Amino acid sequence: MTIAEELSKALHLARKDMRVYYFKAPNFTYGLLMPVALYLAFSVSGSLSPATLISGLVSLVILFGTMSIEAVSVVLEKQTGTFERLLAAPVSLLGIVLGKALAGFAIGPLTAIIVLIPVSIFSGTSVQSPLAIFVAICVSSFTFASMGIFVSCFARWTPEAQMYSNFFRFPMAFLSGTFIPVESMPWALQMFSRVLPLTYSIDAVREGLNNSFLTGSYLLDLFVLILFSIAFMLASVRVLEKQMS
Amino acid sequence: MGDVRETEFSVSVVNLRKQYGELTALNGVTFNVPRGSIFGLLGPNGAGKTTTIKILTGLTKPTAGSAVILGHDIVRDTIQAKKRIGVVPESSNIYEEMTAEQNLIFAAELYGVPRAERMSRTRELLETFGLAERGKDMVAGFSRGMKRRLTIACGIIHRPEVLFLDEPTTGLDVQSALVLRDQVRKLNREGTTVLLTTHYLEEADQLCDIVAMINKGKIVALDSPEKLKADVIGSNIIEVAFSKPVDADELCSSCGLIEVHRLGDKLRLTAADEVDVVAELADYARSRGLRITSISTLKPSLEDAFLRITGLNPEEAVRDKEPARMRRQDG
Repeated sequence: MTIAEELSKALHLARKDMRVYYFKAPNFTYGLLMPVALYLAFSVSGSLSPATLISGLVSLVILFGTMSIEAVSVVLEKQTGTFERLLAAPVSLLGIVLGKALAGFAIGPLTAIIVLIPVSIFSGTSVQSPLAIFVAICVSSFTFASMGIFVSCFARWTPEAQMYSNFFRFPMAFLSGTFIPVESMPWALQMFSRVLPLTYSIDAVREGLNNSFLTGSYLLDLFVLILFSIAFMLASVRVLEKQMS
Repeated sequence: MGDVRETEFSVSVVNLRKQYGELTALNGVTFNVPRGSIFGLLGPNGAGKTTTIKILTGLTKPTAGSAVILGHDIVRDTIQAKKRIGVVPESSNIYEEMTAEQNLIFAAELYGVPRAERMSRTRELLETFGLAERGKDMVAGFSRGMKRRLTIACGIIHRPEVLFLDEPTTGLDVQSALVLRDQVRKLNREGTTVLLTTHYLEEADQLCDIVAMINKGKIVALDSPEKLKADVIGSNIIEVAFSKPVDADELCSSCGLIEVHRLGDKLRLTAADEVDVVAELADYARSRGLRITSISTLKPSLEDAFLRITGLNPEEAVRDKEPARMRRQDG
């Protein structure tokens, strides 16, 4: 099978997922309301700078939104037996994982922009490089969607997938510089934050907010996020292969 | 790419084994499915039917042995094999949040049906399966029979050369089951090789050219239904019902029977000589003040062949197939 064929099937799968799973209730509660509520609770003190507030909130919304979609789409397919239909079709496991990731990826920019535009207007923050922010949002969406698939591969029920997702989401939310700048955390936590993808997502969005040119830090953030995406996708394929054998 | 040698067989399975931890699900299964045939895989629950289908459709990997579909090894050349097969699992696995039409188009997309043909094939299948009026309706509102028909339509939209049907008519009403059997025959006439598993031995008898009986992970018989039934001839089967319940063991010894099995309010007797046993039964009834309310001699069915070959008794077989029905009888 050619790469074009695989990609085409992955896109069909993503489109089907968007049609079937985007409007499920957990996606709104976990994907949009929870991160916004969480963020408002921590930002009422007014101690966060607008750039920290916007980059943190945008990345948090992407993280919760994309992972919620995957928790629903992967696990519901397993529950209803439709995942078996995908496995029986002439598509590789990587093609299936890619299709699922693309569905989650597509919702990331949508929710991020819903949050980004009003928050930047109300806070009077000017966005220095909208394109850089958009690219950072897209790459982050793909990374968190891949991570959501990886986590959902282990779950049998949607609440179980949400629980596993929260096991990753909440520590990341607190240790990646969302509410507290990474630089002000103890050294050991600073080191730990370096292995969390959310840290790179927040940093990339912040770079796009503050700089009109591409910085080395921004490019490094994107590179690390892409590496995380590849690692999560390959790990998901491995887990599914193991489950099938 | 695997070894693509097209032979007279659509499916060739050699010494297939599947181990789930300590449990041996398949223990050296070997059979060939001739091109253009309808092949039935029969066996009680847990015999290994679904595991065999799962391996043949690439849903799980065998522990040992090989399975070749239309010249493609299912483990080494999975995608090429999957392109040429259709799979209809035991439970309907269609998307309830999509319409019937959307489900069919998605199936066509997954199997690489050219864009220009997707809509025409979708309409054709909706028509064939009696769903044309409901094509634009969400599947969530469909009856079980409609969902089953749509599942089968999704499984054949790419015109597979080999179709795997796992328990195609389980849970369907009589009319839907008849429609489905007709469709299976039609597909077969058009050249599709069909491999089906079923609990309904009468269905297998009506549909299949060849049946393999599987028990405890092993093939215990493999032949045409008629030949398997012919093997049972030599013993005579009689079904009898008395006006009052009788002790099966006592009846067995009094009338010199080979076997007695209770089937609901009837008894199924196996005797060496049919004429003698009818006289014996009449004497038995008279001596105990009973009336024979019905009696019939039976030609061996595929079910008799199945019971003889697998060594299951009818009660076990019924319990294995339909626990709910058995519980009702017990009560």
